[in-house]
Amino acid sequence: MLILGIDTATKVCSVALCRDKEPVAGYEINLGRTHSEGLLPQLNQLFERTGIKKRDIDLIAVSIGPGSFTGLRIGLATAEAIAYAWRIPICGVDTLKAMAYNLPIEGVVMAPVLDAQKGNYYLGMYEWRKGRLSETKQAAVVGGEKLMEKLGSVNKQVVLMGECEKLFSQKLPDNVAIAPDQVRMPKATSVAIAGFEQAAAGGAVEPFAIDINYIRRSEAEELWEKKQKKI
Amino acid sequence: MVKKDIYILGIESSCDETAAAVVKNGRIVLSDVIASQIDIHRKFGGVVPEIASRKHIEKVMPVIDEALSRAGVELADIDAIAVTYGPGLVGALLVGLSAAKALTFALDKPLIGVNHLEGHVFANFIADDELEPPFLALVVSGGHTALMRVADYNSFELLGQTKDDAAGEAFDKIARFMGLQYPGGPEIEKLARGGNPAAVDFPRALLDQGYDFSFSGLKSAVINYLHKEKQAGREISRDDVAASFQEAIVDVLVKKSIQALEATGLKKIVLAGGVSANKTLQEELAKAASAVGVSLVYPKQVLCTDNAVMIACRGYYKFINKEISGLDLNADPALKLV
Ligand SMILES: [Zn+2]
Repeated sequence: MLILGIDTATKVCSVALCRDKEPVAGYEINLGRTHSEGLLPQLNQLFERTGIKKRDIDLIAVSIGPGSFTGLRIGLATAEAIAYAWRIPICGVDTLKAMAYNLPIEGVVMAPVLDAQKGNYYLGMYEWRKGRLSETKQAAVVGGEKLMEKLGSVNKQVVLMGECEKLFSQKLPDNVAIAPDQVRMPKATSVAIAGFEQAAAGGAVEPFAIDINYIRRSEAEELWEKKQKKI
Repeated sequence: MVKKDIYILGIESSCDETAAAVVKNGRIVLSDVIASQIDIHRKFGGVVPEIASRKHIEKVMPVIDEALSRAGVELADIDAIAVTYGPGLVGALLVGLSAAKALTFALDKPLIGVNHLEGHVFANFIADDELEPPFLALVVSGGHTALMRVADYNSFELLGQTKDDAAGEAFDKIARFMGLQYPGGPEIEKLARGGNPAAVDFPRALLDQGYDFSFSGLKSAVINYLHKEKQAGREISRDDVAASFQEAIVDVLVKKSIQALEATGLKKIVLAGGVSANKTLQEELAKAASAVGVSLVYPKQVLCTDNAVMIACRGYYKFINKEISGLDLNADPALKLV
C-alpha cells in the first residue's frame, strides 16, 4: 500500500511517501517558511523525484492536531482535496501520537508537547509495548510550570519531544531527557506509518469526514461564554 | 473545428461564506453553492476570523462536491480552477486556496488566482450577458470603496478610492453603534425606508476633490449627533438618522460616479461589492446615470454578496488570457484592487 503523509501542524512543513511501513521518500523544511507557499511545490517534487504516479497512491494520512490552527487547516484542506480528486480514503492522525512514531523504543515514556500559546502546552504520553503504541495519558493542555512536575512524577524514563525549545534552559527532572533534534519535531513519515496502522485497524474514512482536533476553542468563544456567565 | 466549451470551477472563502460554482464559457452559471456563516457570527456582532476559518474547513469540500454535482460536471471535465487569494481574512483565504491548489495538483489542471474585488466587478458579466468593456465600475464593500475604469477584460485603471473607512465599514460601524444586528448594512437600509433622508444634514467629504472618498468624518458626525441628542434628552428618530446617514453616503457615491463618467466619456457603469445590494444606491445611481445618457448594470442580490460564480467568471477571462498561477501562490489579505 502506498501512503502519502502530510504534516503542517508546526513550523515544520513535511511530506512523505511510504510503502506500508517503509519510508520511500520525504521532504521536510524546518525554516518557518509559510506552508501555504511550500506545501504543494514540496509534494510536486516528491512525485517528480520518485517517479511514483500520483494515481498509485492508496491512502492519504494527515496530521490533524493539536498544533497551529492555520497550519492544520492548510494540511487538512490539501489532504482532503487530493483524496477527493483521486477518490481514495484519508486517515486523520493525532499530531502528538504521530511524533511518538519518530522514536519507537520500548521501556520509556514518549512525551510529545506542542505550543498551546500563552505559556501552555498540549501534552500527550505514549509507550511502545511489543511493537504497538499505547496512549498512557490523553492529550490535554498543561500550564508550563506544571509540565516538568508532571513529567518528573512519571516513574519511568521520559523522552520529551516536540515544541519544547523554551524548556531547553530549564533544569530537567532526573528521569526526563529531550529527544535529539532530528527526531524531535513532527515528521510526515511517522504520520504515514501511523496512518497505515490506523487504516489497517479500520480508521480510514471518506474525504469529508475528518475534523481537526483543536483541543482549544477559539478565543472569541471563550470570552463570549465568560461574558454569558457574568450576566 | 467546433470550439470546445470551457468549464471553470470557482472557489471563494475570503470572509464568512464558503462558496463554489461551475461556470461555462465565462458567463453560463451551471451551479452556485454558498454555505453562509452569518448566523454563527451574529452573536459576536461581526465576523470572528478563527471561527470563520473553522467553518470553512468543515464546508469547503462538501461545497465543492455539491457545486460539481449540481452542475452535472465531473472534476475531470473542469478546464481550470479559479480561487480567491485576496483580499480578505488570511486564515479564511488559506482554506479555499489550499483546497484549490491541491485539486489542481492532483488533477494536473491550471490554477488561477483571482482578486476578490475583480470578482465582484465580474459578477456584472453574469448579471448582463451583453455587457462588454469598457465601462466604469463603482466598487463598494465592507473593505473597499473605489472607482475603476475597466478598459478590457484584463486591464483596469484605478481612478480613486477611499482614504479611510470603506462605505460598507461605515454602514457596519453606525449599525453597531445604533445597536442593530450584524450585518449592519441591510439593517440600516430597513430603518431608512421609514425615515426622512433630509432630516439631518450630515457632511459629504471630498466632493470636489477628484475621485477619492472619505467616510470616517461622516461616521464621527453621526455618532456625535446621536450623543448630543441623547445628552440633550431629545427624542431622536432612528429612522431619520439611518435615512440621512444612508443619503450622505449614496449622495457622495453617485456624484463622484457621475463626475468620473463625464471625465472619461464612458457610457456604461456597473456596481460591485456587498453594498451594491443597497436599493437606494441602485435607484439613485440609475436615475443620475440615465440623466447623462449612461446605463447602469448591477448584479441581482445573491451575486452582490460573496459568491464563487464571480470568481469563476473572472477566472475564465484570466484563463483564456493565459494568466496561470503557480502552486506556490499564497494568500494576500491586503491584495490591492489594481
Ligand atoms: Zn466581497
